[in-house]
Amino acid sequence: MIAHAQETIDSDKFKSQLQQLQQKFEQQQQEMRESFEKMMRAQQAEIDSLKKQVAATTNIASTHQAVADEEVKDLKDQVAAVSEAQKKQRPNEFNPSIGLVGETVFSYRSRGNDQTGSDRPGGFDVFQRSVELNIAASVDPFAKGYAVINASADSETGEATLGVEEAAIQTTSLPYNLELKAGRFFGEFGKLSYIHDHELPFVNRPLALDQYIGGESRTDGAQLNWLLPTSHYISLTTGFGAGFGGDSPLNNPGSYRRLSGFNYFGRLSTYFDLTPNVQLETGVSGLINPTTQDRGGAILQPDGLATFTENERQVAGADLKISWVPLQNNQYKRFDWGSEFLYSHSKFLEAPSGDPTAPDAFQHFVGSLGAYSYMTYKWHRQWSAGFLFDWVQNPMNHSDETFAYSPYITWATSHWNQLRLQYTHTDHDPMSGLRADDAIYLQWAWIIGAHAHGWQQR
Amino acid sequence: MAGNNAKHKFQPKEIQNMKSKFFRALFALFITTFAVAAFSAHAAKVRVITTLTDLADFTREIGGDHVDVFSLATGIEDTHGVPMKPSFVPRMNRADLLINVGLGCEHAFLPALLEASKNPKIQYGEPGYVDCSVGIVPAEVPKSTDHSAGDVHPYGNPHYMLDPVRAKTALETIYNALIAKAPQYQADFTRNRNAYLTKLNAKIAEWKKQAEPLKGLAFVSYHEHWVYFADRFGMRYAGTIELKPGVDPTAHHIENTINMMKADKIPFVVREPQFPEKVPALIARQAGAALIKLPIMPGGVPHTETYIEMMDYIINAFVSAQQRSH
Repeated sequence: MIAHAQETIDSDKFKSQLQQLQQKFEQQQQEMRESFEKMMRAQQAEIDSLKKQVAATTNIASTHQAVADEEVKDLKDQVAAVSEAQKKQRPNEFNPSIGLVGETVFSYRSRGNDQTGSDRPGGFDVFQRSVELNIAASVDPFAKGYAVINASADSETGEATLGVEEAAIQTTSLPYNLELKAGRFFGEFGKLSYIHDHELPFVNRPLALDQYIGGESRTDGAQLNWLLPTSHYISLTTGFGAGFGGDSPLNNPGSYRRLSGFNYFGRLSTYFDLTPNVQLETGVSGLINPTTQDRGGAILQPDGLATFTENERQVAGADLKISWVPLQNNQYKRFDWGSEFLYSHSKFLEAPSGDPTAPDAFQHFVGSLGAYSYMTYKWHRQWSAGFLFDWVQNPMNHSDETFAYSPYITWATSHWNQLRLQYTHTDHDPMSGLRADDAIYLQWAWIIGAHAHGWQQR
Repeated sequence: MAGNNAKHKFQPKEIQNMKSKFFRALFALFITTFAVAAFSAHAAKVRVITTLTDLADFTREIGGDHVDVFSLATGIEDTHGVPMKPSFVPRMNRADLLINVGLGCEHAFLPALLEASKNPKIQYGEPGYVDCSVGIVPAEVPKSTDHSAGDVHPYGNPHYMLDPVRAKTALETIYNALIAKAPQYQADFTRNRNAYLTKLNAKIAEWKKQAEPLKGLAFVSYHEHWVYFADRFGMRYAGTIELKPGVDPTAHHIENTINMMKADKIPFVVREPQFPEKVPALIARQAGAALIKLPIMPGGVPHTETYIEMMDYIINAFVSAQQRSH
């Protein structure tokens, strides 16, 4: 019985324990489920939150994207507008470079031009010598073109007299170091005859160039320049033209011009670096003006009766220029000494009675010499001064000599604005009918627009 | 007599042999000449003209023995005022490449020299015309090219070579031009370029470190050479003694410059040796600033024969002046 009772007690105890375990298990299970569900809810909330964030970010990004797209579109529109603006029709697209030179000479000469031989009046004078339009551009890949149109004041009327000083085409790519120029241009003779007035180192062109060349070496023709293919600089130029010299009369060929009716000219020049700072350039030039008939017409002689008619003329020249150009500060200091010697050989038909067809008319030759020499010293970026000596024998009468002495001082406020004061004393041979005179010049030259530093003006 | 004569006469066969020998010799001579000429052409150096000495130094560094370099400037000239010597013309006539700074730096002498050179290979627009300003973003591009602003550079300030970082662009341009001209030497050019670039980069780092104390300090100079340099080394470029480019100062401008320097406590006046010392010295004295003489290209002052030596000199001169002023 006791044993049975003991078994019953144990069984109850076991059941009770089992129930407790079951309850505990169910409780734990419940707790776990609740915990899991809580975690799931939290996660779901987090996922929802993240989803919201992602959605929000996506919205911002898409907003930004939209803004960026709009800005890109704006930019594209602006670029397109700028690009379109570039497509404007510009009729002046290929216009050449243009520059204008003005040059006024104020002067006082002690004698009238009947006693000086000048084409300007004596006493006080203002001469608008240059209103010079320079234009230049490439013609095509093989040539460039340029023109210099000058409108200077007429000495009689004061009105602008338009003249084409130069208008030429120049090759840029010929083989064998050749360069051909054709049209109206300043032919290469000597050192200063192909320089325009305002670029001269002094106010007036040297007398020898005026009298033997006719001022600037203007010609209508062609010239060929050859840079010799040597390691030393040697340049050879030859050319021909109808007429030579800006103030010289054209050759008069009559009704038919033969080749011998042209002028032929040339120059051979070379250069030496004496030291890094001292340069020497020298050259010889020639001008042949053969068999022209009645060149320039009959020229009345001082006796008022006889006439000379120039039939033929030859000019030979030799030039030398030595320059001290310090490498370091040549904008501030420089010295130039330039000289040119010319020999003119002319054949004249002399008519003592004034009638070239009269039996007493005869031919004679005149050989004349002329020279100039100048020195210019620059001691400041804006200041330079110099002295020009001129000597020339009349090409029609070599015993008629003229001397001139010209100190000058130049003030350049910049490359494009320059004032020059010059005094010139001129001595004429009394037999010429001209008299010694003194002159003071104030030259004001200015440049606007394009202006190249040319090879010839170096 | 006839027999004796016959002994000395050449037989037709002998004559033929002689002719044959003569033609063979002539042929050999022709071939040799041709071969030598061909070899010479192959081995010929690239003939390079540079306008300024910094470009010459770079070209020699890259080109080594394969280039024959001649610089129009010796180093002491004004970059805008190299004399137009006719002795340059034959050299330019035979040049393969003309290397220039560009941006109008050489406008006063190069166009006329180019025309006189009659060398189509190096004319503007041709491959032989090497403009080192390509790839440089120019500073101080004028809003107007009117001459009231002086001898203004219409494309912007051309003195970028005084900034060693921008100068590397020029180095690369020269390298590419040499390769295009002489591709057979590409490996050598590349090796030389890389070696020089390594050296230059190291120097640039060194110069920047040396120039640390200069940061924020201001200076004036005679001509507008230093805008790129000041930008690179963090200095302030306060203006020029020249009134305008190419125009000397007026008394009023000198006075204004002195007053401005005093007010802003500007410690340096730079004088390039191409310009007179009198006015910069006066301004430095009056403003209580240090006067520094600086080269604008290699060779401008003694011991600056290479680009690196020149930059060394410039940085050292500034740093020394700054140390003295403390």
